[in-house]
Amino acid sequence: MRLRLWPYFLRQALGNIMSNRIVHVIGLGTMVVSLLIFGTFLLLLVNLNAWVGEWGHSLTMSVYLQDGISEAERDNIASFIRSLPRAEIKRFVSKEKALTEFRSALGSQAGLLDGLPHNPLPASFEVIFNEGEGQKVDVREIKQDLEKVEGVEEVQYSEEWLHRFESLMKMIRLVGLVIGGLLCMGVLFIVMNTIKLTIYSRKEEIEILKLVGATDWFVKIPFMLEGMIQGILSGVLALVILFSAYLFISTEKMHFLDLAVFDFVFIPNEYALSILLLSVALGLVGSFIAVGRFFKV
Amino acid sequence: MIQLFHLYKNFGPNIALNDINLRVREGEFVFVSGPSGAGKTTLLRLIFGAERPTSGHILINGINLNRISRLKLDLLRRKIGFVFQDFKLLPAKTVFENVALALEVTGERRSLIRKKTRQSLKLIGLVEKEDAYPLELSGGEQQRVAIARAIVKDPLILLADEPTGNLDPDLTKDIMVLFKSIHMKGATVVIATHSRELLEDTEQVKIFLNRGRIFGER
Repeated sequence: MRLRLWPYFLRQALGNIMSNRIVHVIGLGTMVVSLLIFGTFLLLLVNLNAWVGEWGHSLTMSVYLQDGISEAERDNIASFIRSLPRAEIKRFVSKEKALTEFRSALGSQAGLLDGLPHNPLPASFEVIFNEGEGQKVDVREIKQDLEKVEGVEEVQYSEEWLHRFESLMKMIRLVGLVIGGLLCMGVLFIVMNTIKLTIYSRKEEIEILKLVGATDWFVKIPFMLEGMIQGILSGVLALVILFSAYLFISTEKMHFLDLAVFDFVFIPNEYALSILLLSVALGLVGSFIAVGRFFKV
Repeated sequence: MIQLFHLYKNFGPNIALNDINLRVREGEFVFVSGPSGAGKTTLLRLIFGAERPTSGHILINGINLNRISRLKLDLLRRKIGFVFQDFKLLPAKTVFENVALALEVTGERRSLIRKKTRQSLKLIGLVEKEDAYPLELSGGEQQRVAIARAIVKDPLILLADEPTGNLDPDLTKDIMVLFKSIHMKGATVVIATHSRELLEDTEQVKIFLNRGRIFGER
C-alpha cells in the first residue's frame, strides 16, 4: 500500500469512529471492563505470589529435643543450627515453658492438663531462616540433617501449609488463565461486532468504492485501523484505571485493613505492556475477522 | 476493445441476456438501445465486471473477465468509467468528495486529485457547487456529478446507463457534447438509452436489444 494513502486510511478510521460514536463508546466500555477484570486478576496474582514468596523466605522451623538430654548435647544442637545458612535461633522453649504456653492456649480447658502424670511436651528450638541473597534454603535437606543430630527428636516446619498454598496458587493461575482466555474471546467478539456495525453503516460507500476500482485492502485497512485504535484506547484506559485503583488502595485501604505489613505492588511494566499489546492485537484480529467475513459475502 | 462471445445471463428462471455476440472497437462510440427490461443495464454491468455471466466470455482489451483475479478486476475498473442510472452518489460526502473518490482509490497525490476533480467539475459546469451535498442538488445536477466522477480518471472506456434520463433537452445536448469530447480524446464510449431523440440525432453505431437478444445493428 502506498505511503501517501495512510493519512487517508487514518482519516477514514477516525471518521468511522466519530460517525458511529455510540457503538464505539459501548464497545470501548465493555472492552475496558474486560481488560480491567483481567488486569485486576493479574494484580492480585502478582501480589499473592510476592507474599507467598516472602513467607517462604522467612520460614520458621521447630526442632524438638529428646527428653533428658544433657546441656552439652543441647549446646551441640544449638551450634549445629547456628552453622546452617541464614538460620537464627529465635528462642529456646523448655519443657516447662511449652507446658505453660499450652496451658494458656487452652484457656478455660487448661484443667484437662492437671491430670497428667508428667509433662509430655518436648523442649524445642524455634528457628527462623532469614531472606537473603544467593541459593534458596532447602528446608527438606535441613530437616533430614537435623534429625540425624544426637538428641533431636523431630523437626517440623510449615511445609504442609506452604504446599497447600502453592497448590492454591497453581489453581488461581489456572483459573486466571481460563478467565483470561474467556475474556479475550469476549473482547474479540465485541470488536468484531463493533466493526461489523460500522461496516454495515458504510455498506453503500464500500459498494461505490469497489465500483470505482478500490482494492479489497483499500477498503479493509481503515476498518482494521479502527479496531486497532479501539484496542489502543481500551488498553490505555484500562491500565490508567487499574493504576489509579492501585494507588488508591495502596495508600488508603491497606492501612485501614491493617495489612500494611505487606508491600502492595503494581503489575510489572512487562505485564502492563502485555495488556496493551494484547488489547491492540485483539482489536486488530477482531476487525480483521469482521472485514474478512464481509468480503466473503 | 470490448468483445462478447455467446453471452448468457440468467436471474433465476428469467433470461436477461440470450446469446449476445458483440465487438466494440477501440475508440468507437456505441449506443445500446431497447425498451425497459431489454437487458441494457445487465449488458453494461457485465462489461464492467459488476455481474458474472451465466455462460459465455467477455474480453476487455484482450483480458477475459471470467479468468481475472479480484485484484486485477479492481485495477481494470480504474480504466473504466461508469455512469450509473441511479447515480450512486454518497449523500454524506460533498460533490467534490464524491468526484474525488474515483481518484483517491488509485492513491494519486492529493494535489493532483484536487486539480483533476476541479477540472472535471468545471467540464460539467458544477464547480460552484463543489461543497454542496448530493441531496441539495436537482436530479440533473446529480446526474452530472455522476458523469464527472466517471470521467475524472480519464477512462479508456466510458459506460453510461441512461445518462440523460433525468435531463431536459438542453442539458441532454450539453451532456452529449461532453461525451463526444471524451470520445474525441480517444475513449471508447458505450451508452445505454431508451431515448429515441438521442438516437435520431446521432450518427454513431446503434445496437438494438429486445428481451435479452440483439436484433439489430446500425
